[in-house]
Amino acid sequence: MAQVPVQTIHRDPQLFYWILIPITVVMILTGVLRHYATVLMATAPKKQELPAIKEQRSLLRGVNLRANANVISAPSFQARKDYLVASYESGAFLKEPDKKGQAAPNPMTDPAAMEGMMGMMKGNMAMIVPQTLIMGWINAFFSGFVIIRLPFPLTIKFKSMLQAGVATKDMDPQWMSSISWYVLCIFGLQSVFNYLLGSDNAASQMQQQMGQMGPGAGAQMFGPGVDPDKQFQAEIENLNVLAHHYTLEGVEDRLLQTVVV
Amino acid sequence: MASSLLHPPAHLSPSVALQLSQQAPYLLRTTPSAISPYSLSSLWSAAESPELWTTYENLMLSCLRTGDEQSAHLCLERLTERFGADNERLLALRGLFQEAIANDNDALKKVLKEYENILIKDPANMPVSKRRISLLRSMNRTTEAITALNDFLDASPTDAEAWSELSDLYVSSGMFPQAIFALEEVLLVTPNAWNIHARLGEVLYMAASSETGSDKHLAESMRRFCRSIELCDDYLRGYYGLKITTTKLLTTLSQSQVSRQSKSDTALPLPSVQSVERLNELATAKLSEIVRRSTSNDAGWQGYEKPEIIAAQELLNRDAAPITRSNAQGSGFISDMDFTWKVEIFTFLTIFLTPTWT
Repeated sequence: MAQVPVQTIHRDPQLFYWILIPITVVMILTGVLRHYATVLMATAPKKQELPAIKEQRSLLRGVNLRANANVISAPSFQARKDYLVASYESGAFLKEPDKKGQAAPNPMTDPAAMEGMMGMMKGNMAMIVPQTLIMGWINAFFSGFVIIRLPFPLTIKFKSMLQAGVATKDMDPQWMSSISWYVLCIFGLQSVFNYLLGSDNAASQMQQQMGQMGPGAGAQMFGPGVDPDKQFQAEIENLNVLAHHYTLEGVEDRLLQTVVV
Repeated sequence: MASSLLHPPAHLSPSVALQLSQQAPYLLRTTPSAISPYSLSSLWSAAESPELWTTYENLMLSCLRTGDEQSAHLCLERLTERFGADNERLLALRGLFQEAIANDNDALKKVLKEYENILIKDPANMPVSKRRISLLRSMNRTTEAITALNDFLDASPTDAEAWSELSDLYVSSGMFPQAIFALEEVLLVTPNAWNIHARLGEVLYMAASSETGSDKHLAESMRRFCRSIELCDDYLRGYYGLKITTTKLLTTLSQSQVSRQSKSDTALPLPSVQSVERLNELATAKLSEIVRRSTSNDAGWQGYEKPEIIAAQELLNRDAAPITRSNAQGSGFISDMDFTWKVEIFTFLTIFLTPTWT
């Protein structure tokens, strides 16, 4: 089997000092800056008014009753169910009881919802602006450099990943271009930021993207654009179809079987 | 030691609280007083952790219990420095501090007035409205406290702490059905809390002994204690209550054989005499085991409250003495158990704040 000759490219060792290290340092510094910028720009979560708290917690009370109905006796359960169903139906728990039955307000016009969107915008800006600037900077100054050779062999598939910006067909995939190094830094610096800034930092854009993709279910439950009256109606149905089994039924026999002195 | 500072200090015994507060000067010297989030030094110094601020809060409460007001004030200052004087919890903590250093009723009234001013500005300030309620209670204005607590629960009906406080207020006013209702609400939030199951059993027992011919309450009380034991194998209060209720049930069951059939169908049927007898034996055996092992300091049997062990011992002794008792037994149970419960409630009252910084 013929040995493939090892490619050698003579690089100026200065490339290492003037490209590889600067890119890494700049990436770390922007991450730290982004973290502090996000911290500074973050607005304190808006305080909820008492009626809003009441609306949410009354719904939660219904959910709790449904989930844990079995710990209380049948008459107690029935009394609570009747009370909650009647109040849900009359809209007594609503933030604005007189607005019952109207369509939910458009989330774009709701000032509370706008606030949340502004927060998201700020987060996005803090991510996009430095990203664009650094990408432009790297493109302008460092494009087309091959900066390091990875110490392990790689298959041809890695070529597009590691040699972005260097259009050379036959070069071994072990060689790495400056733009690829930049991309690698974006994804690989998470642990460095964790070390520098603590684990809940805002430096990594990866986490921010994840956060945008799957917002927590809790936020969605009471989020803007959800009609609380509809949620109450749904909860009425849930409560009405619930079958009640009292936990204390036969507990003495269960206990006698399990506990041995 | 530091770990006990991270838990809410409500359950600490006085000696532990004293020990903690005696270490306060040392702790205050060694812990960082303020952590600025924007300084360069945060790059290499230890990251700010929520535990630090929990420590400060609990240390402050322990210091207030033991009368070390200087250290408590220092803790309060550091918390204020970090979270700002307008923070909801800090408003409540400051009020707590002022309550603790108040000398007479007038000073307490001033604090109450302050709470009310805060609440006019921001009715949604939960910690302060809780403090106001417990201040009302400690000023012996129980009816007002109950009204205020009911308003509070109207806005926030999923607060287990407030419901249990309400039930305790109702018990102290002798309104047992309301107290039972409130405890059931607690159970709806925390369905597996064995101590709440046992507490509900106790209140049901009190309700059963306050009115005549309420076998239903008694049977339910016994079942609550059973459930409590089912959830926590070695729960002393559960066995204590189980023993008391089964003893009483045995006397009433033999008397009311006839009326058993006439009960309505909605509630559970009364338990059979055999199973009650066996439960009574079980409770007696387990209680004596707990007392024996705990007093001989066996490994793994520590951690029971002293007063509870004494009460259990006393109950067993009462059983051993061949004296027939009538109604006196019931009221004796209430005062015994009420005493130990009061101890818990007292410490609970001094805090009445949830332990997490949000």
